[in-house]
Amino acid sequence: MKSTHKLQTEQIVAGYDSKKILHGIDVVIPNNQINVIIGPNACGKSTLLKTMARLIKPITGDVILDGKSIHKIPPKKLARVLGVLPQSPIAPEGISVADLVGRGRFPHQSLLSGWSEKDYQAVEEAMDMMGITELANRQLDELSGGQRQRVWIAMALAQQTDILFLDEPTTFLDITYQVEILDLLTDLNRKYGTTIVMVLHDINLAARYADYIFALRKGELIAEGRPSEIITDELIKEIFELDCTVIEDPVSKSPMIVPRGRFHVFS
Amino acid sequence: MTLDDLMAGLFLSSSDSYAAAVVSERVPRTVFSLLCGGALGVSGALMQAVTRNPLADPSILGVNTGASLFVVIGIAFFNISTAGQYIWLSIVGAIITAIIVYGIGSMGRTGNTPLKLVLAGAATSAILSSLISAIMLPRSFVMDQFRFWQVGSVGAANWDFIAIFLPFLVSGILLAFIMAPSLNALLLGDEIATGQGVRTGLLTLVSAFTGVILCGAVTALAGPIGFIGLLATHLMRLIFGPDLRLIIPMSAISGASILTIADVLGRLIGSPGEVEAGIITAFIGAPVLILLATKLKVRSL
Repeated sequence: MKSTHKLQTEQIVAGYDSKKILHGIDVVIPNNQINVIIGPNACGKSTLLKTMARLIKPITGDVILDGKSIHKIPPKKLARVLGVLPQSPIAPEGISVADLVGRGRFPHQSLLSGWSEKDYQAVEEAMDMMGITELANRQLDELSGGQRQRVWIAMALAQQTDILFLDEPTTFLDITYQVEILDLLTDLNRKYGTTIVMVLHDINLAARYADYIFALRKGELIAEGRPSEIITDELIKEIFELDCTVIEDPVSKSPMIVPRGRFHVFS
Repeated sequence: MTLDDLMAGLFLSSSDSYAAAVVSERVPRTVFSLLCGGALGVSGALMQAVTRNPLADPSILGVNTGASLFVVIGIAFFNISTAGQYIWLSIVGAIITAIIVYGIGSMGRTGNTPLKLVLAGAATSAILSSLISAIMLPRSFVMDQFRFWQVGSVGAANWDFIAIFLPFLVSGILLAFIMAPSLNALLLGDEIATGQGVRTGLLTLVSAFTGVILCGAVTALAGPIGFIGLLATHLMRLIFGPDLRLIIPMSAISGASILTIADVLGRLIGSPGEVEAGIITAFIGAPVLILLATKLKVRSL
């Protein structure tokens, strides 16, 4: 299953309360890839993601899906193509795992249609993929952080969109769960060809898991491309103002940055 | 009471049997309290969903005190005396109060949190109540007209009342049913709701207005009956969980039952007179509010 949608931005200027955070960003999201946006705090990576996912309306510029502004597509129809998992979602108290995952089916249902066979199947598949089938009847409040994140991703999966946005899906998680979540997202990408666009904080995990990276600084796109092509000492210095050495990750052969601080530097 | 009395009470406009008179008075009263309770239950469920606040309820947020104030102003200064006129004043009062309370509750750096909203409601309610007293006390005619109404009573009900009220109730509850799935999405936060294709701004506006209008209409005809929204929804949430597609219709049913039971209880306790239903619901509702507030996790910061 390959997605054929084309998502791109045209000169996005966006921000909050007239304070501009993005200063004219043009990107074309490569299809069927894992795309990661990186950059220092307050560089606008989250704002770019939210703007592309239509959570923020740009001040000027536009986000174009298949030649049409996403703000001109009926919202429910758009929700069958673009899914989004924000950074800290909230859930009503006492909601069960199965119920929450089922909420992802909302854009596929109408007032009269109720639950179809397809809905049940989508929920089952999503829970199976995230390995939470045996948690189905548990309450969300009882779960660990890693389990909870898997439930949220399963909800986004149940929405069955070709493009999925995730805002820092690994924050607040232990390293074990960070790797687990990124593995699961890779499964999703390989199995269904889902185009993933996410913000990640950890550059080394980004370089390992991303097919394509967008590097931002102060609201401008500084570089984009495959990690092996763009992650260099110079780029990291330019974006993060950090001296570092880029070596080859012994496990994945992807680039890995080793920061150089003021201490403990021998070479 | 015989079957004849029952029939006479139901279908004849005048009858001389005592039992028939009881039927002709009690039947509309019961129907009216079922409708009012249902409307308050749905109103509470909508307000809780829109504000994502488990403590939201027309009386706690001061909305029905605002509705009362407008009715009192109407009685005192504009010579208003019919139910048809009450209802519009009451709805306008309810809407204005809701906007003010929400505005106050959202002020400050933390935005609107459940407890701030409740405090804003309590404070606004206190101010509005004192305004009501200030208008009423020097005017004995207003006082008389207002006295029963003030504590919340379904005792004044007749079929005309019901006819005025029914369109508001039916359209309000219908809208609530239609919005339930989208409100479910809204409970997951504005961002997820938007991501699932909900027009969050429109939904919030329409459901808040629906909740406020339902409560305003009830208040106009039965007076400010408190805590039904809170009691009805939390009871149903305990049984059915957080799905609003169930909670909204079930709160209508439980609200209707609670108010009707309160009305019957009030007649039993107060016999040979009666204790108004609004007093009974406050008596049960206030401790429940305290219980819920102490259990509430403070989600701000």
